[in-house]
Amino acid sequence: MLPNLVKLARSDRHLDPRVAIYYVTGQCNLNCIYCEDFGARRNGNNQRPLPLEQVMHILGIIRGGMDALFLTGGEPFTHPDIDSIVLRAKTELQFKELTLITNGSLLHLHEVVLQGLDRLVISLDCTDPLPWSKIIGMPLPTAQTILSNIRKYAALQSKYGYRMIINTVLTPEVLPAAPSLLEFCFENQLLVSFSPQAVNNWPRYELAVSTEYSNFIHELLLLKQKGAPILGSDAYLQTLCAFQPYDCYPALAPRIYPDGDLSYPCRPLEKAGNGQGGRDVNMLHVQDWATAWKLARQTYGQPPRSCHSCFQQCYAEPSLMQAQPLALLHEWLRYPASRETNLSTYTPG
Amino acid sequence: MPDSAHDVIVIGGGIAGLSAALHLAERGLKPLVLEADARFIGGRLAGGDEIEVGGWKFRLEHGVHGIWSQYRNFQAMLARHQLRPVFVPSQEELWIYRDENSVRSAPVGTAIRHSIFPAPLHYLHLFLRPSFLFTIDVRDWLKLFHTWSVLVMSLGVDPYAEDQPMEGHMLGEYIGKWSPALRAFFTGLARNGLSTHADQIPLAGFLAFLRFYTTLRRDAWAFSYLPDDGGTSLVEPLAKRVRDLGGDIRIGKRVDRLAGEAPQWTVECGSEFFTTQQIILAVDSAAAEVILGNSFGPNNLYFPRSLSNAIVRLWFDRSPHPGPESGMFTGNFVMHNFFWLERIYVPYRQWHKATGGSAIEVHIYGPDETLAQPDALLLAQVISEFYRAYPELRGHLLYQHLQHNAAVHTLPSLGPSDRHPGIETAWAGLYCAGDWVRDPLPAFFLERACGTGIKAANLVLESRGLAGWPLLKYLPPEPFAGWIEKRMRRGRERIREKRRRI
Repeated sequence: MLPNLVKLARSDRHLDPRVAIYYVTGQCNLNCIYCEDFGARRNGNNQRPLPLEQVMHILGIIRGGMDALFLTGGEPFTHPDIDSIVLRAKTELQFKELTLITNGSLLHLHEVVLQGLDRLVISLDCTDPLPWSKIIGMPLPTAQTILSNIRKYAALQSKYGYRMIINTVLTPEVLPAAPSLLEFCFENQLLVSFSPQAVNNWPRYELAVSTEYSNFIHELLLLKQKGAPILGSDAYLQTLCAFQPYDCYPALAPRIYPDGDLSYPCRPLEKAGNGQGGRDVNMLHVQDWATAWKLARQTYGQPPRSCHSCFQQCYAEPSLMQAQPLALLHEWLRYPASRETNLSTYTPG
Repeated sequence: MPDSAHDVIVIGGGIAGLSAALHLAERGLKPLVLEADARFIGGRLAGGDEIEVGGWKFRLEHGVHGIWSQYRNFQAMLARHQLRPVFVPSQEELWIYRDENSVRSAPVGTAIRHSIFPAPLHYLHLFLRPSFLFTIDVRDWLKLFHTWSVLVMSLGVDPYAEDQPMEGHMLGEYIGKWSPALRAFFTGLARNGLSTHADQIPLAGFLAFLRFYTTLRRDAWAFSYLPDDGGTSLVEPLAKRVRDLGGDIRIGKRVDRLAGEAPQWTVECGSEFFTTQQIILAVDSAAAEVILGNSFGPNNLYFPRSLSNAIVRLWFDRSPHPGPESGMFTGNFVMHNFFWLERIYVPYRQWHKATGGSAIEVHIYGPDETLAQPDALLLAQVISEFYRAYPELRGHLLYQHLQHNAAVHTLPSLGPSDRHPGIETAWAGLYCAGDWVRDPLPAFFLERACGTGIKAANLVLESRGLAGWPLLKYLPPEPFAGWIEKRMRRGRERIREKRRRI
């Protein structure tokens, strides 16, 4: 954090990466309506999963540049070697912070991974399986399995030494059920984080004009100050409330696709494909992280000095934490619940 | 034979008209949009003809590039329909100042939007930049507080929300005593934003402009660029969406006059007649004045001025020294701002990558006598002055193009409430939309056009018992600016109270 703070103090906004996000696979066993990732099952052209040794090579390159790693997808548990990937990432590569992001529906088949994880993030938008399954387009039994798994593995947190985080995408449809979801998390000793649904890299209109939504975010801020285990810095939650611009530093959290492609400098600019970014650098073709990062910068230039061209809340939290360390420190001192929050606890979308 | 199959007729296919039509069509109505231009939809955001430079094709356009962070309703509308392109983040803006003896420059944009000082003190960050200090002199230091106090005036008065036209007061009266460089800087900002000389800028418009774009929040100055010309990247997809939702758009339909009254309006368009129950007049200010004049005879209505400008594009076979992608020219320059297109637009990026060339677009916001010069003379003057700022490109010019834009650019101002047309008009079933329309919305240009378009659509929807579209709120002032704003308003109330008692 310190070298980046020095850079910020010198008005150098080209910050060093802090956490990496590796998409273990583009495949998913669900098809959530708000998912903008790979189109999940909607996209039949997803590549086959990479063999274990190639995945480990990619993770090894990443480890050369970062201590913290998020494994995500698609659904990571659809990768045939996910158990080995997690355990070897922890034991061989010794990532200091290892987080797995999953929909939770296949967790019971892979309990072994819990031994290697520092954090387990499960997506849950509603605690009533019937409406939830309808809202996001998921079979009812799957929703029931996810809820059952969350309860079961929440109880095993202390045994395995990981923290379970519930990540909720706030949509106008699930908003009325959000208070009961909070209760569920408190009862099961789960950390919870929220992000608003985005459409076209912008907050969904119905949320942006909703008083109910902004009231709920205010409520989260109050609950957090009273000690509720709600993740997200105050600055992040305030940003979500009014959707105010923030200085985005996407390079803090580089993303690597299943086949090893580095998404540079961020997913929206990379996906736009208009010369501002791209995915021409592949982890399988470089010797180390520094080379990969340098190559990407040479190809596409430095990341934008500041970017307000989209509203990707998954970049907001690390950007705000990095840019406002004193605000974060203040929170840590004032509310014990905030001590759970750091650059590795946010939930990348 | 009148064509009467339309629920609502929207006159004008710019952002105001398309926004209105889109929101009507989303609720199931079948609006008909009539656009005067014979070839391109979009008004000031329309795309234009292509020109060829060295075998590469580039599309011309009016010259709108920036999408500001405060354009919230405009962006929300685009995003809701998956029409919001990935914008190009702005990096930095350069202030180029030319006095009698020299040309100096300083990067200023990031100092304003990333200032370490809270609004409205954020401009002080400029004084931490050596290049800015080299651009000003001792006279500027002596007049610093005087200059700042005029800027702070914008916190105390919200002309649009408070209905304060400040008639007869022009910006020029207030900056006469400013020091040369600071005057050049702020009049440059005003000229870039409001497109004319300070003497012609109404004070109310200037203060409202400052409030919306800069004095209340540092991040209000944050913006991004469209990735391509406005037609390609925004308006043409937007028009397609209106059609997909059941709207009808017809180009080359210049409306002459309106006849009748609700519930049976007739829109006369050359030899064609269209009938409808409701009309949204979403043309530019000058065109609205003509249509309403033709329709209802001489009137005493107030219409903000419409301004013309000129755009020069220059192509070079090499790139300039590294520097900001855009900026403003102030002082003794004929042109007023610039954009390096190969750093913004996709086709220019591709051309630059292949050839190493660069292309700049400069805007000339009057005065009228400059714009009236023969094209060759104006071009020669621009090129000659341009080389003073970028001498490394002398001798590398590949191609030049001058474009005159018609007088459709609104000079923001506020007329008397009984004369300046608002969204609702004196004629039942006739609504106005556009950036010239009187409304408490604090927004300008694209955002104001979009916001008034949505509001006009909402009135139509409401009259038919349909749900309207709530507008997104604008961000509040930063705490310190908000505190000053409250204190100044309270002071003004006290003064008014005292006067009343006297």
